[in-house]
Amino acid sequence: MLKAILKEAWISIAAYKLRTFLTMLGIMIGVAAVVMMVSAGQAVQTKITQTFASMGSNLIIIGPAEIVSGGVRGGRGLPSVTVADTEALKNLKDVDATSYIMPAAVQAVYGSSNYGVSVRGTNPEFLEINNWEIEEGVMFTDKDVKAAKPYAVIGQTVVDELFGLQNPIGKTLRLKGKPFMVIGTLKEKGDGLMGDDQDNVILMPWTTVRQRLEGSERPQFTNIAFVKASTEEKMESVAKRVEYMLRTRHRLKEGVKNDFTIRLMTEMVEKVRSVGFILSALLAAIASISLVVGSIGIMNMMLVSVTERTREIGTRKALGAPNNWIMTQFLAESILISFIGSFIGMIFGVIFSQIGGMALGYEVPISIWSVIVSVTVAVVVGIVSGLMPALKAMRLNPIDALRYQ
Amino acid sequence: MTVKNTTVIDVKHVFKTYFMDGGNSQQVLKDINFQVKSGEFVAIMGPSGSGKSTLMNILGCLDKPTSGTYILDGQDISAKTDMELAKVRGQTIGFVFQNFNLMMKRTIADNVSLPLIYQNIEEKERYKRAVKMLERVNLQGYQDRLPSQISGGMQQRVAIARALINNPAIIFADEPTGNLDSKTSDEIMDLFTDLNKQGITIVLVTHEDDVADFATRMIKISDGHKVYDGLRKEYSKEKETKC
Ligand SMILES: Nc1ncnc2c1ncn2[C@@H]1O[C@H](COP(=O)(O)OP(=O)(O)OP(=O)(O)O)[C@@H](O)[C@H]1O
Ligand SMILES: [Mg+2]
Repeated sequence: MLKAILKEAWISIAAYKLRTFLTMLGIMIGVAAVVMMVSAGQAVQTKITQTFASMGSNLIIIGPAEIVSGGVRGGRGLPSVTVADTEALKNLKDVDATSYIMPAAVQAVYGSSNYGVSVRGTNPEFLEINNWEIEEGVMFTDKDVKAAKPYAVIGQTVVDELFGLQNPIGKTLRLKGKPFMVIGTLKEKGDGLMGDDQDNVILMPWTTVRQRLEGSERPQFTNIAFVKASTEEKMESVAKRVEYMLRTRHRLKEGVKNDFTIRLMTEMVEKVRSVGFILSALLAAIASISLVVGSIGIMNMMLVSVTERTREIGTRKALGAPNNWIMTQFLAESILISFIGSFIGMIFGVIFSQIGGMALGYEVPISIWSVIVSVTVAVVVGIVSGLMPALKAMRLNPIDALRYQ
Repeated sequence: MTVKNTTVIDVKHVFKTYFMDGGNSQQVLKDINFQVKSGEFVAIMGPSGSGKSTLMNILGCLDKPTSGTYILDGQDISAKTDMELAKVRGQTIGFVFQNFNLMMKRTIADNVSLPLIYQNIEEKERYKRAVKMLERVNLQGYQDRLPSQISGGMQQRVAIARALINNPAIIFADEPTGNLDSKTSDEIMDLFTDLNKQGITIVLVTHEDDVADFATRMIKISDGHKVYDGLRKEYSKEKETKC
């Protein structure tokens, strides 16, 4: 019986191809939009997770103080944490390692190639702390830092841009006209969260940056310092100790605000994740408005259809159609429309999100969620928007329906 | 034609009142009584608005009397639920309408076999029976066409084939020739006469004397009352009384 009902329903909606297609289009666009938004949200979440996973764990990050004026956040203050501070923090309890970045943005030159690159002066622990690895060659040592050796360890983008297919190890590149020897290359990291290129980087001893690129009059301030706690559980207590030590070293009196900020990586991960989640939920919610519009379209079409087919309904009833048969047929018509619409919408949604992901360099998972969302939506929308028209058809009095002109 | 002694229709003290919005009501049928035996060919006549269609709707189980009883084929229709009425309509009765009521976008075979869907009969079987039924109304070979491709008289024959498909005991037809010219109308009436000879009870409503002449018995309704019930050929205006 269900087969016969479905067939009748199918023939009925197929009889009005254009109208049925236009009605489906609403649901198609709605489902495609939801699938795309869900995929986009998932892609961002995946990216966030991957990025943080690659950033090293148990990290405490120390940066400049935030400037707050009149209750409004006004960006970052000047760096206040020195290399010496950071070295001192290494002696705190439960601290595994510390590192820091002293940046310089310069043009790198090799032969006739030149390229804008982010130079970071740091110590050898930088690799361990950030989960970075050497691809070829070696990292500079503490000795090299002491001696301010003109050594460079370069990221894969720099390798590609400056050296192409040549082996860069042992070659000399120039920054601000000064020579630096490439002693190692870094494993590829891929894009960062903001689409920034994490491989467009040159690491060198901070002393070298200071003396050769910035001029030694610059104080030994770090832009960002890292402290690695021994375990995740120890992070809170280590952070407290770090704060205490820095305040002492900076001679801050009681009541004076910190001239630095301390953040735990775990907190940042959570914050970014929840922002990402809220964002994708919001996008999906906005996209589902188009679903509501689509289902109103179905309801509207079905109501018109019931009115137009009043005589048909009367005839069917006079010829022995039970009321529930009539209701089921009209419900089946709206469910078919929304089901087919959702299915096509889902396919387009997946295709477009893959294309979009490729274009933006994001890995977009094809998720079971797309399927679940679309099927649920199809059934729910079909029933919700078809119920009222189906009940209307069911309740039609056959005599009135037959008299209807 | 052979009239058997089994009563298929038994109408006792049937009243029908329509209740309109606003509290008005109109009594359309007033104490109607009659019986129809299996194999009869009855024409119901009467002026416009006299209640013929109202009576037909009750006989065809599309409506229930306000009071009184109606027994069809031994079953008390007045006491049945909507669901049971649908079953009776689908299994015991064939319906023919004035304006055919075909589904114009569906093939003739689909139209003819429509009542079988509700009896849970397989698609292939439905088609087979539709083809057979079309032969019975002299429309062999038309099964795959659309109703719009054939004449009005042929469309009404399609509708008759549809009424016959469930092998009903009775066919009800409300002005089946109302939309047809007199030649086509005679063809349709010949078909009804044939069916009646095959033993099917036929009750039809008509305005036209020529059409009524095909029937053997005539019931006349006037202002909701039955005013004549007897042989068609013995009817004359003078014999009308409330009966
Ligand atoms: N559903 C209804 N609601 C209210 N009044 C109705 C309804 N159906 C019929 N009537 C009224 O009942 C009366 C009888 O109508 P009916 O259709 O039975 O007449 P009829 O004899 O078939 O007339 P005609 O020859 O014009 O078809 C008319 O006055 C009509 O207006
Ligand atoms: Mg009438």
